[in-house]
Amino acid sequence: MTNNDYIIQVRGLVAKYGETTVLEDINLDIRRGETFVILGGSGCGKSTLLRNLVGLMRPAAGAILFNGEDFTAMSEDQRTAVRKRMGMCFQGAALLNSMSLYDNVALPLREHTKLKESTIEIMTRIKLDLVGLAGYEDYQPSELSGGMKKRAGIARAMAMDPEMIFYDEPSAGLDPIVAAGVDMLIRKMQNTFNLTSVVVTHELASVELIADRACLLKAGRIVAVGAVAELKAHSHPFARQFFGRQPEDESARSEEFVRSLMQGEQAAHRARPAGRGDTTGE
Amino acid sequence: MSMVTAVFGWTGRISLNGLYAACRVCLLVVSTFDWILVRPLRGQGLRVRSTLLHLVEFGAHSFPVVGLVCFLVGAIMAMQASYQLSRFGAQQFIADLVSVAAMRELAPLMTAVLVTGRCGSAIAAEIGSMKVAEEIDALEVMGIHPIRFLVAPKFLAMLISVPALTMLATFVMIGGGYLLATAVVGIEPGLYLERTANALQMKDFSTGLVKSVFFALVICWVGVYRGFQVEGGAEGVGRMTTSSVVTSIFWIVVVDMMFTVFFYFL
Repeated sequence: MTNNDYIIQVRGLVAKYGETTVLEDINLDIRRGETFVILGGSGCGKSTLLRNLVGLMRPAAGAILFNGEDFTAMSEDQRTAVRKRMGMCFQGAALLNSMSLYDNVALPLREHTKLKESTIEIMTRIKLDLVGLAGYEDYQPSELSGGMKKRAGIARAMAMDPEMIFYDEPSAGLDPIVAAGVDMLIRKMQNTFNLTSVVVTHELASVELIADRACLLKAGRIVAVGAVAELKAHSHPFARQFFGRQPEDESARSEEFVRSLMQGEQAAHRARPAGRGDTTGE
Repeated sequence: MSMVTAVFGWTGRISLNGLYAACRVCLLVVSTFDWILVRPLRGQGLRVRSTLLHLVEFGAHSFPVVGLVCFLVGAIMAMQASYQLSRFGAQQFIADLVSVAAMRELAPLMTAVLVTGRCGSAIAAEIGSMKVAEEIDALEVMGIHPIRFLVAPKFLAMLISVPALTMLATFVMIGGGYLLATAVVGIEPGLYLERTANALQMKDFSTGLVKSVFFALVICWVGVYRGFQVEGGAEGVGRMTTSSVVTSIFWIVVVDMMFTVFFYFL
């Protein structure tokens, strides 16, 4: 496979919160047009990895290449140009509450293109129709249900017809039926537009439905990468535990949890010297 | 020994935190001016519609409460002045006192404090809750700069509406003093107006106006800064909203003091 077949390449990525290392030496190659799932338990750093990929965090070391160009070394204007070609669905959809659903989906088009309002309207309606929200244009985000918000988030992420789309926990907080609907939608988007999708999740049920390939993260390191079937058959004890849904030893876990809490607190102190009362007043 | 380290540690921490906050505010200030003055020249336009909406919200909608409070403060000032000046039979000086105090000091200050409570807190709460709901992150991922999208319109609207409100507030405050002095104290209306006109100079007017411009900057930047500082959930929004009002009023008074000293010697 040549380099051209990979749309996203991660090389030696290290991410830190203060002194605490959250991700260590992450190497990933994501192929054009595939759905790649980042799996892992709570707090293993998978959301941090996603935040690094979309540029919400700057990695402490390493590189992220989109189509062979280093995203981390780009100027702010170049990064904006790359961001126009990516879409992201947040866990809580993150629709702007001050705007109607229609305006939310139309926002990227209005901001980044010089299209006429009539063209924007057609494009927005197509996107809303695509996610099954036709007729809800004038609703405010607060009037939508959780599943509808997720769909609206996908419509907004799709507004600019991106090459790649990132999903943060798409099925979190949804009932199984609605979650399955969102999974189908992710699959449909990928098939229809030949998108590259990167999905962060811990839902085993949706992995089987949507993933072409996946990686399994544990404590900031990649344990295994490959097709879902390969991961399931993987010999690593954590992979077996994760796919077998076996609980960890409770006593060991609670000790580790307390330690992680203490470390986290210390790290937060070091990372953020300015807490309360950092200016006068109060 | 531990006592000494504690004292030095405490001073060092306070200074470092102060320095850190100052740097953050400077970044915010530079970025705001970049998006208002520099980027529009390169074709990345301002959000005119949003600016106008904020102008209505910060300016027009603030006027009733600002006007009412300033009217009452004018009347209170006239009454207090009368209480003192009547002992010397110098009641006609109420006009001088009320008009100069209103124009140089009280109208800008009252307006700034009221706008802080009404709009500064709203800015902090809006940006804070957007941050909690990942809306700020969403803007960034969409390639929309939060300073351009959120801060620039608010900043421009604040910069126009606070001086405008201050001017209106000055007239209303002088009106409050006039009404009380003529109706209650019994000063002849013509005399009162004449004394007011004689007492006021262009310098008084510019003093008040310059102050109000800087108050607008303080209100906007403190609100925005506190809003972006929000972490955690609803509790963080509440804490930073409160903090934005307290910090903003503190800095308004500090700026006021600086300008008062400056104009005193000018």
